[in-house]
Amino acid sequence: MSLNNLIKNWTSFRARRPYLDQYKNADYKWAMVIDLDACTGCNACTTACYAENNLPVVGKERFEKGHAMHWMRIERYWGEGESVPVDMVPDKGAQFLPMMCQQCEAAPCEVVCPVGATHHSADGLNTQVYNRCVGSRYCSANCPYKVRYFNWWQYADFAWPNPLELQLNPDVSVRSKGVMEKCTFCVQRLRESMDHAKTDGRLVRDGEVTTACAQACPTSAITFGNLANPQSQVAKVWKNQQIALEKDEQKKDENMRGYRIFEEFRTYPSVVYLERVRDLEA
Amino acid sequence: MIIRKILFVFSLLALIVASFSINAEPFKAGGALGTQTIDGYNALGPQVEQPIEFPHYIHAKIMKINCMYCHTYARRSAVSGIPRLDKCIGCHKMIPEVRDRPRIKKLFWYWDNHLSIPWKKVHDLPDFVRFNHERHIQRFYFQDKRPVREVCGYCHGDVANMTTARRVKAISMGWCIDCHKKDHQISAVNLKTTNGPHDCWMCHK
Repeated sequence: MSLNNLIKNWTSFRARRPYLDQYKNADYKWAMVIDLDACTGCNACTTACYAENNLPVVGKERFEKGHAMHWMRIERYWGEGESVPVDMVPDKGAQFLPMMCQQCEAAPCEVVCPVGATHHSADGLNTQVYNRCVGSRYCSANCPYKVRYFNWWQYADFAWPNPLELQLNPDVSVRSKGVMEKCTFCVQRLRESMDHAKTDGRLVRDGEVTTACAQACPTSAITFGNLANPQSQVAKVWKNQQIALEKDEQKKDENMRGYRIFEEFRTYPSVVYLERVRDLEA
Repeated sequence: MIIRKILFVFSLLALIVASFSINAEPFKAGGALGTQTIDGYNALGPQVEQPIEFPHYIHAKIMKINCMYCHTYARRSAVSGIPRLDKCIGCHKMIPEVRDRPRIKKLFWYWDNHLSIPWKKVHDLPDFVRFNHERHIQRFYFQDKRPVREVCGYCHGDVANMTTARRVKAISMGWCIDCHKKDHQISAVNLKTTNGPHDCWMCHK
């Protein structure tokens, strides 16, 4: 691939609708499955993400202003489609849903970036290049999942007072003020395992690499893997749940639990949630 | 209003002057080591003063020691690694004839005092860049069987003719891409060509 190639095939580097067997001959397509039945809402994944990806803890005041930087958050829901006032939130009965960047195949954020800081990589990741980002925040405005977070402050200066900066992950850059950031599917881990695998002349084996959230999950609710490999755990679940990457409307059996969030927006996300089975009688 | 306009013009002028002074070349021009970078200009890095003036030319050129004997992690990890002191001593214990040289005396002073040598970094990449030694060494040294001095020299210059290493290549993104754009033959027998990766997230983290 050269610059000529980049200009000639520019459309393939922009977001577009995925097609059948798009990743059939590709080496990698990273995807995830989250089983909401197993999720207990313990926030271990969020904590692991903070540790892995050098996320700053912003504090209560900035959190209330909406400056939180959690790439992965646990959303809580009560009841079936009814809204509950903030001060009337019940103590129990919440349902949890871990929400992070869905790595959409036709990502709404990619088309609106004026400088091409976010685009699609060959292995199906929705990339965010911090050096190129100018902070227009169009991507965040266009994201239906609201999983893009903007650096309103130069957190590197005060979020990790000495000696806390020693716990920063050297494989991930500390973002500066004025750039957008989001879940990367722990790309630093993916790249490391891909490099080692290439040296051995093979592909990354299933289970060889996983994201920080999947690693930390105490109930193994999160499964991460390579969708291009039909033998991987993730690909099996996608197939069993009759979910295909290139379809926006899944026609599936009654007893299937798998779904993707906001499928009707035609973003073609890479994360499948397994619906919670509720006993409404009890 | 007029005063404000004049002030504005003056501040603009000051900005322009300031930008010129900032643009001053940070590195010395001219090729002391005669190495040209791929993009045509010579980007000699600063001469880093090391605790011991390690003679690369004796080890790599005269003794013909493979770079990876000391920089042992280059073939299996992202970083090439600076050898530990016991690696130096392991050999130099067996070479008593050079024991009275000033550099070797200094080396054994560190050894006797149980100190590690505070080597300084010469090729320092920005924190947002992920460079992998393993893939480059595996591709060009083990797969293509090119000479090790050539393979390492693509980025590090002719270290075998230096005492302490000095940065002689630009090591900037455009310079990296210049190589990644080239059509590299897959192997000596396979005439098909391939490129280095161009994906942003391959190198940027």
